[in-house]
Amino acid sequence: MTAASASLAALTPFRLIGHPILLGVRRVGAITLFGLRSLAATLTPPLYLGQLWRQFLAIGFFSLPVTGLTAVFTGAALALNIFSGGGRLNAEQVMPQIVALGITRELGPVLAGLMLAGRVAAAIAAEIGAMRTTEQIDAMVTLSTDPYRYLIAPRLIAAVLALPLLTAVADLIGIAGGWLVAVRTLGFNPVLYVRNTDAFLQAGDIGSGLVKASVFGFVVALMGCYHGYHAAGGARGVGRATTHAVVSASILILACDYLLTAVFARA
Amino acid sequence: MSRARSNGAGEQWAEVLLGFGVIAAAAAFLTYSLSAGGAGRAPDGYEVTAKFGDVGSLAPGSNVSVAGVKVGAVADITLDPASYLAVAHLRIDSKVKLPVDSTAKITSDSLLGGAHVVISPGGAAESLKAGSQIENAQGAVDLFGLIGQFLRPQSGAGSAAAATPADGPADGAAAGGASK
Amino acid sequence: MTGVAKLEWRGVRKSFGGRAVLDDLDLAVAPGRSLVIMGGSGQGKSVTLKLALGLLTPDAGALRIDGRDTASASKSARRRAFADIGVLFQGAALFDSLSVWENVAFRLINADGVPRRKARERAIEALSRVRLPADLADAYPASLSGGMQKRVGLARAIVGRPSLLFFDEPTSGLDPVTSAVINELIVEQVRDLGCTAVSITHDIASARTIADEIAMLQGGRVIWSGSPSELDQTPDPYVRQFVEGRADGPG
Repeated sequence: MTAASASLAALTPFRLIGHPILLGVRRVGAITLFGLRSLAATLTPPLYLGQLWRQFLAIGFFSLPVTGLTAVFTGAALALNIFSGGGRLNAEQVMPQIVALGITRELGPVLAGLMLAGRVAAAIAAEIGAMRTTEQIDAMVTLSTDPYRYLIAPRLIAAVLALPLLTAVADLIGIAGGWLVAVRTLGFNPVLYVRNTDAFLQAGDIGSGLVKASVFGFVVALMGCYHGYHAAGGARGVGRATTHAVVSASILILACDYLLTAVFARA
Repeated sequence: MSRARSNGAGEQWAEVLLGFGVIAAAAAFLTYSLSAGGAGRAPDGYEVTAKFGDVGSLAPGSNVSVAGVKVGAVADITLDPASYLAVAHLRIDSKVKLPVDSTAKITSDSLLGGAHVVISPGGAAESLKAGSQIENAQGAVDLFGLIGQFLRPQSGAGSAAAATPADGPADGAAAGGASK
Repeated sequence: MTGVAKLEWRGVRKSFGGRAVLDDLDLAVAPGRSLVIMGGSGQGKSVTLKLALGLLTPDAGALRIDGRDTASASKSARRRAFADIGVLFQGAALFDSLSVWENVAFRLINADGVPRRKARERAIEALSRVRLPADLADAYPASLSGGMQKRVGLARAIVGRPSLLFFDEPTSGLDPVTSAVINELIVEQVRDLGCTAVSITHDIASARTIADEIAMLQGGRVIWSGSPSELDQTPDPYVRQFVEGRADGPG
């Protein structure tokens, strides 16, 4: 027995590496199982429509201001940069099209997703985490109501529906931001700007951005729900859950963005 | 999320208004883009026409300028069913008077677009009246068509402006081909 | 006890992180009786309750409600079992985003499909049974005192007229007067509903008031059980130490 434990102690450096990896794998597994169970809850009755509507408003409508702000500044800055870069190739005239492409395919969904990761994932994790640490979720179970269907499914569905709509608004406002800067500062013809943009953009540009947005919405809600649902240890636990939710949602969004872009770029 | 009591009622209303404001801004821009008929922007101007063999990428809304100064915009572009020429309706600022022998030419800012109409004023004493036509018009230079015509023989069905320089080599090539 | 126990733990074992919290627990409650489970902090009282509620599953042993094993029950059987159970949690566990009446009527609206108007009526009736006025119905839990929150929690537990009621530390954090009110309400409701009650507490005065039978947990198992009057007479040293609240002794 002693010989075995002695050799195990000698292997500690390897365990220091292996342990967090195992933890990570276990975490991924737990999240996957949670995700599957949540998906099942969205697809089977009962569906709490009142909750769904409330969440849709909270996630979608009330995120409009922050999304609009992000979009207009990004669109304006992008226009200036692309114009300047285009100048090096004598291609300033193409700026409207490039800006529109960048916004609809990439910046619209990703920035809206990241804004929501910070705002919505944190709020969901905090609310569900607080419910978990005050036994409200246990209470719900004893009141014959499945928390997966009452709490989690409405948030998942609301986020998947809301983020594409938010992205559409962000796309419009981002392009408008570029248009404003182009017309006022760069001397573009206002009508021609929108006309060229309109002619250049393809349905796939906007569509791929909206599909990305749906995926991002799912990620944001899932991370918020998972970390909140498994919060433990009072106020500190809720705080930890909130932070983890935001960080994991943000990283997952960026990773999924690359994967989806690779898929869409080939299509 | 329970927003109901975390904010005061006043703050809530502000958020709702802000949300609607953002949607309104986006919708306004969308409507503007789709209509893009902002060419009638100078309602106090007068309209003249010019016929071109090829308008290139000229579109309603494109600028009309004299000596580099914008004096109006293209209101509409239609096709003359009799002569198969493109008719550009130009709306000119009412403060600008154009001599009847002015020339209208379509040029581009760069290879990538930005087509607009440049009017070179003539020396006549009489000015163009609303609804009249600019007689001298030179259409857009179809650069790629020109290059193509040098590279490939064509039966001369190019633009009116491109027909002259391209005639020689095209005829020669066609003659060379026909003699086979 | 004759007949089938309403609720029983048989040979239940439960460990957390290698530490055995419950070790061969044997306990039963007869229908219509009120059992109070007592014991020092960390002796496994909450775990015992959570196992009975199905919020935790035992590592070994069986949990039976009305003679039917809960662990092996089908989902629909478990759902039906929950329909007949009411729980008052330690902090009342009210839903802070819902009003008082929406809390009380939560089960009715979301699980039983009762229309909102009818559910509100039944909620107000339940509130009156715990002596809370109807004008509290639209208030929110955050604006209520601890004692009132517990009463709302009690109303929420009894609104479905359950046959099995659970109380997790019903008097914790309450002043003596409010505690007495809660105890009285518990006794009243258990009697009116004719239901079986299981409580966990370390408040001896509360236990004496609400219990038909007391079971003492120590070391993960029941070391003593009997009526409240027997509690005062038993020579068991651990029980004596607990009842008299002494720092020295086996506990």
